[in-house]
Amino acid sequence: MKTTTFIFALLISVSAFASDKYTEQMSKHIHAVYTAKSVDEYQSAINALDRIALAEKTKWEPYYYSAFGNLMLATQTTEGAKKDSYLDLALAAIEKGKTIQANESELIALEGFVHMIRLTVDPGTRGPQYSGMAMQAFGKALGINPNNPRALALMAQMQFGTAQFFGSSTTEACGMAKKALEQFGSFKSDNPLAPVWGKEMTDELLKQCK
Amino acid sequence: MKALTTLVLFTILIPAFSQTRITGKVTDAAGEAIPGANVLIKDSYDGTSSGLDGTFSFVTEEQGLQTLIVTFVGYKQFVQQVELSGTIITISATLKEEINQLDGVVISAGSFTAGEEKRRTILKPVDIAMTAGATADIAGALNTLPGTQKVGESGRLFVRGGDGSEARTFIDGMVVLDAYGPAAPNTPSRGRFLPFMFKGTSFSTGGYSAEYGQALSSALVLTSKDKAEMNQTDIGILSVGADVAHTQVWDRASVSGKVQYTNIQPYFGLINQRVDWIKALESFESSAAYRQQVGKSGMFKFFGNFNQSSFSLFNHDILNPTVKQKFDLTNRYRYGNASYQQALGTWTLRGGASYSYNQNDVRVNENPMGETETGIHTKLVAEHSVSDQFEIRIGSEIIHREYKATRYNEVSGNSEELSFREMLSATFAEGEYYISNKVVAKAGGRFEYVSLNQSATVSPRLSLAYKPGKQGQFSFAYGSFTQSAQNQYLRFNTQLQPETAQHFIVNYQVVTDRKTFRIEAYQKEYRNLVKFNNTNPTLISNAGKGNARGIELFWRDSKTIKNVDYWLSYSFLDTKRLYLDYPIAATPTFASVHNFSAVYKHFISKWKSQLGFTYSFSSSRPYYNPNRPASQFHEDRTPAYHDLSANIAYLPKNNLIVYLSCTNLLGRDNIFGYQYSAATNVQGQYESRAVRQAANRFLFVGVFITLSKNKSVNQLPNL
Repeated sequence: MKTTTFIFALLISVSAFASDKYTEQMSKHIHAVYTAKSVDEYQSAINALDRIALAEKTKWEPYYYSAFGNLMLATQTTEGAKKDSYLDLALAAIEKGKTIQANESELIALEGFVHMIRLTVDPGTRGPQYSGMAMQAFGKALGINPNNPRALALMAQMQFGTAQFFGSSTTEACGMAKKALEQFGSFKSDNPLAPVWGKEMTDELLKQCK
Repeated sequence: MKALTTLVLFTILIPAFSQTRITGKVTDAAGEAIPGANVLIKDSYDGTSSGLDGTFSFVTEEQGLQTLIVTFVGYKQFVQQVELSGTIITISATLKEEINQLDGVVISAGSFTAGEEKRRTILKPVDIAMTAGATADIAGALNTLPGTQKVGESGRLFVRGGDGSEARTFIDGMVVLDAYGPAAPNTPSRGRFLPFMFKGTSFSTGGYSAEYGQALSSALVLTSKDKAEMNQTDIGILSVGADVAHTQVWDRASVSGKVQYTNIQPYFGLINQRVDWIKALESFESSAAYRQQVGKSGMFKFFGNFNQSSFSLFNHDILNPTVKQKFDLTNRYRYGNASYQQALGTWTLRGGASYSYNQNDVRVNENPMGETETGIHTKLVAEHSVSDQFEIRIGSEIIHREYKATRYNEVSGNSEELSFREMLSATFAEGEYYISNKVVAKAGGRFEYVSLNQSATVSPRLSLAYKPGKQGQFSFAYGSFTQSAQNQYLRFNTQLQPETAQHFIVNYQVVTDRKTFRIEAYQKEYRNLVKFNNTNPTLISNAGKGNARGIELFWRDSKTIKNVDYWLSYSFLDTKRLYLDYPIAATPTFASVHNFSAVYKHFISKWKSQLGFTYSFSSSRPYYNPNRPASQFHEDRTPAYHDLSANIAYLPKNNLIVYLSCTNLLGRDNIFGYQYSAATNVQGQYESRAVRQAANRFLFVGVFITLSKNKSVNQLPNL
């Protein structure tokens, strides 16, 4: 009897261990994508997240972080064509994520981020089109979750950049950035794999506001 | 108990025995290592990334028959079945290139494409709108590109030794008969369609696709925008009129409507004109566009345009300027274009119909001398991706035209009517084959039959492009082109055969991140051109011929100087024709040997403005002097043409733009040619009068307001 219970407990712990494989692997690679320092490190993390996405088929989070990795690569490269190709990969992953979870605020905020970086490749030409698309995405993300700190921070970033470009007042942008900072402190998601990045970016922006 | 413990221990230990190691190397077809490729077991987390040398090694706990996949962006997936049983497996993954249409070789001979932002195109749609001197006129902006000829008194597109009628405009694949608005004699006309309507513009200076016909020199292919994304209202207050537009967006459809009123009279009142206006140009225009998404991948588009313009002026006789002739023109124009596109797997079907109605109600001293042209065009095209390397396109179209002209016969004092109906049916087929990412070939042909004169023509087209390295590429194009004789000649002899041209084009171009260099050379042979004798002008035939050859250079740089985008274009043209009433082979009056344009655009954030300058130069043009004998036909030359134009777009607020432009800043008195009197003076000489610009400068001011939910939207891309 005791042995049966022991075996039973063992089997349960083994199976529990197996279902945590997703959370464990995801946490590992999410950490990798947050802390990567070279193109190789990013690529390894992105590839691992792509593998998880393909294997799981019903989870949007692997696509989200794969896109995030490619987006980080885009922000760190200087060559325009390469930036565009990383952004294309990020967008493709976000689109796949959206087919799994249609109204996920984080995915849509990240999509806005892609448009924002797309703009920086050729601001003179792309400014009007992509600033419109970015603002629309942030607006939609906030419509789904008005407290999404990332959507607030990115919108603030966008407004600040536009105000600088046109030489107009940055009050609205700085107000949005303060609101974002508040939400970084108070907003907590139920999802253990939810994104947590963005506070540093907001701090940097607020420094420019003073 | 012991047995059970052993069993438990055994079940824990079994996994260790069923691990399989997979190693190998990822390379491309040339054997070069591919680092960062994703190597994985299908439906499993197991896998790894290839290293800098392309090698990889990982351990998997999966067992039995599995699928190994290797992927890397720009390459086709590598797939291999593997049997995982514990023994080490070594894989040689050679990845095959995917045909990458964004970065790979592109056929560019004879074509300039302004389209999707990400593609390495030479022009962006905003370039067409914001080029100084163009005042948002497509032809005006295209006139700063190589291969175009500045014919200031006309405003149309004259391409590579070709007449303005040899360039044809297409919207969403459907022809637009008479794409230019009416203009007073020797004052430039403006294109009817504004750049803001289009997401893609492809301007060819020769060698264009078999899908398009009835243009001897050039096809201007415009693709209209898809469904709009945002509700907005646009208001324009201009020095010559006003316009209001509204866009309404739903989930799967959008509607845009615009109403515009133009009256140049107040402007002409302020600034002296050389033309003796009775009533300057006044026009009313309305247009609407409707877009509807159908099903998963279908799109229905409708566009309609209605325009009524009128003006009247006095033409003064050259010998005796007090004698004058009253000239009235009222133009009524309607255009409707409906198109539908549907993707069906690897096939795309598209079709459309267009209706053009253009009536020029002209009265000379109250005598009617007008003409009306009506055209209906229907077309159906099927495109098929046979593989990711090979695409074919086949289609069929019918263009039915009806032309009517009224002429006043001074001898009999009666009005005569000339008319004809032309039914043109055509079939075309074209294939595009990407041999690799470095070589592409396109071959096609077009068959046309015209009922009016029972002419049947076959026009082959062929082009190739080769990209030897990372950036530069060579392109070659050959094509045969036919076009019905112009209405003004066809109405006298409906049996006139189509005119033909053959193009041979080679080019080399390098497009990098923010710089473009291009050099192109061409030879054109014209045959079957309309020819007649001045002694009996109604005896018209196709005995005319001609040729044109030239070299063109283009350089664009938007990187070197911060916030500055500039381009330089130079064209050399050597052309002669023996056609119309020419007694000997000579250079036509619309051709000049050297043409140069420099376009400069600068965004000055301190001023919140975009500043632009355009300088254009054309060497002298020939003109006809009746005082010379036939052997000296077209020997005289006008002075050279110089024009420096400027514009500035000022953005005080995000949704408000103040726009100023001035053509010919330095006020040069450009002369385009000379007109001669109908009769000789007392010395037996024909007297001349220079054909000049209507005024030395044209000033334009406009205020553009955009009202929408998103306050950062404005009309800057539309200007």
